[in-house]
Amino acid sequence: METRQAGWTHRVLMLLLMVYLLLPLLATFLYAFATEWQTTVLPQGWTLEWVGSMFEDIRFVEALWTSLYLCLISVALSLVVMLPAVFVITVYLPRWETLMKGLVVLPYAVPGVVAAVGLIRTYSSQPFDLAGTAYLLIGAYFVVILPYMYQGIRNSLLTVSAVELLNAAELLGARRVRAFVTIILPNIWPGVMVSTLLSFSVLFGEFVLTNMLVGGHIQTIQVYLYRRVGESGHLASAIAITYFLFILAISMVLMKLGKKMSGEVRG
Amino acid sequence: MSASYLELRGITKRFGGAAVLDGVDLSIREGELVTLLGPSGCGKSTLLRCIAGLTELDGGRIRLNEQEITDMSPRNREVGMVFQSYALFPNLTVAGNIEYGLRMRGIGAKERARRCEELLALIDLEPKRDDYPQQLSGGQQQRVALARSLAVQPKVLLLDEPLSALDAKIRRSLRTEIREIQKRMNMTTLFVTHDQEEALTMSDRICVMNEGRIVQDGTPETIYASPRTEFVARFIGSYNVLAREEAAKLFGDGIGAAASFALRPESVKLLPEGGGQDQEAAPANTRRIVAATVDNVHVLGNVIRYFVSAEGVRLTVDKLNDGQSPWGGAGRGAVKLALDPSQLLELEGA
Repeated sequence: METRQAGWTHRVLMLLLMVYLLLPLLATFLYAFATEWQTTVLPQGWTLEWVGSMFEDIRFVEALWTSLYLCLISVALSLVVMLPAVFVITVYLPRWETLMKGLVVLPYAVPGVVAAVGLIRTYSSQPFDLAGTAYLLIGAYFVVILPYMYQGIRNSLLTVSAVELLNAAELLGARRVRAFVTIILPNIWPGVMVSTLLSFSVLFGEFVLTNMLVGGHIQTIQVYLYRRVGESGHLASAIAITYFLFILAISMVLMKLGKKMSGEVRG
Repeated sequence: MSASYLELRGITKRFGGAAVLDGVDLSIREGELVTLLGPSGCGKSTLLRCIAGLTELDGGRIRLNEQEITDMSPRNREVGMVFQSYALFPNLTVAGNIEYGLRMRGIGAKERARRCEELLALIDLEPKRDDYPQQLSGGQQQRVALARSLAVQPKVLLLDEPLSALDAKIRRSLRTEIREIQKRMNMTTLFVTHDQEEALTMSDRICVMNEGRIVQDGTPETIYASPRTEFVARFIGSYNVLAREEAAKLFGDGIGAAASFALRPESVKLLPEGGGQDQEAAPANTRRIVAATVDNVHVLGNVIRYFVSAEGVRLTVDKLNDGQSPWGGAGRGAVKLALDPSQLLELEGA
């Protein structure tokens, strides 16, 4: 008797939560295809003109592509640097942990505007004249996702008891690098995938820093959205929905990739 | 000296200010199974890790098979280790785990598979070769961990409380299995445990450790029958440890000069209050009879444990549960004890 009641409450709560989360999304979706929707419960008419005009604008596709490759490069760079670094710190230099914990939380503490101003000042003159370039942006993105990547990789390492696995591998004759590749990497991959996904999403949606640093020169999807939002709410909705579906597709690809990697690296 | 296969001299390790290992000396012959026995925190696991090279020494030297390994990295020492938590690789199958060491040494796939099959037969887990560690029970995982270490034919095998995480029945059967495999392969083994029953049943030799030092080193029989210090007596078996005055009250003044004494609970015989003949008692001319009261009785299965008071001294007396207690039943009340002075052991120091 009791379990059944718990089941009901549980389901209703979940339903309410889903509705709460999905309703804005649904509304945006409908608005993108609506002719007029000011005072009525449902749109007054349907049209494809907003979506059409969006795809016809070359700048939209360009912005999407720009965001994609900038975020991918930043995340890939972060992976290449952070994976070995966090591994070495967690396993071989545990005394540095306190210092690292403080360092990686710093990005949270600094508001985007402050960071942007600082970065522009530092990199506007020789020898680092990078102002307005993609390099500056990638560098800034790297720091933005630092906390997510550090914590994610570190937690994965701790969850799989990396230190003990390494001890066992070492005693069996494995060199450190080989032990890392054959034993640690396959086991932490799912956790690392999640951090990567999260980081990618954060970067894709990042606006303040991006706009301030390179807004005039490089159009990421967020900058583009900001520009067009003023024109029409319908158009803005269309763009937002497309961008959301795009992220969804990428997430699924990344998930599949992650599963495949843990499956393949065996034996 | 030349007979020792594994030689530890002056092993010292400090954590913070405290000495976890305080000048440990130990010699182990080839093929011996030596158990490090002691309470938590006595340094036994640390000693094992130092031998494996996972923990750096602050002082001392280690020689294995005539070779100085003190400064070698773990991979070169030819030391195998089985951890309390098994540390099996979750991304590899049972076969993959067992073959790992061979893979690292560059041994070809066919040879690897052959050796793997041999070991699977040894641990009796052939049908599980393609399973993953998560699909195995605790006992099975432990056997795989053992096979994995043995695959690379180490010179010495270190077992760090390998059975602590398992339930009693599995522990007992695995104990015998490990001992059989060890004997068959003539594998020099160092076994760490806090369970004295394990130590007594498995070992060729036991080293009792306390606070970073080995306090007594001997065969199981010696350790059990002749504990040297109060610590060992308290740790092994359920010895009665008596202060001098207490021993004097029970045995008179003819006892030795030591400050404390040990008496095995099974060496004291219970007699019914009215005296009477008990064939198991010591020869009449040496035994002492004292009056006592039984305060409590615990039936431990095949042993009955009596908690008695005699002359103001509290003792435990163990008797085999043969169902033939002279007076039968729960037995509280007044009794007589037959004590054999030759069973009273003098203890050194603390």
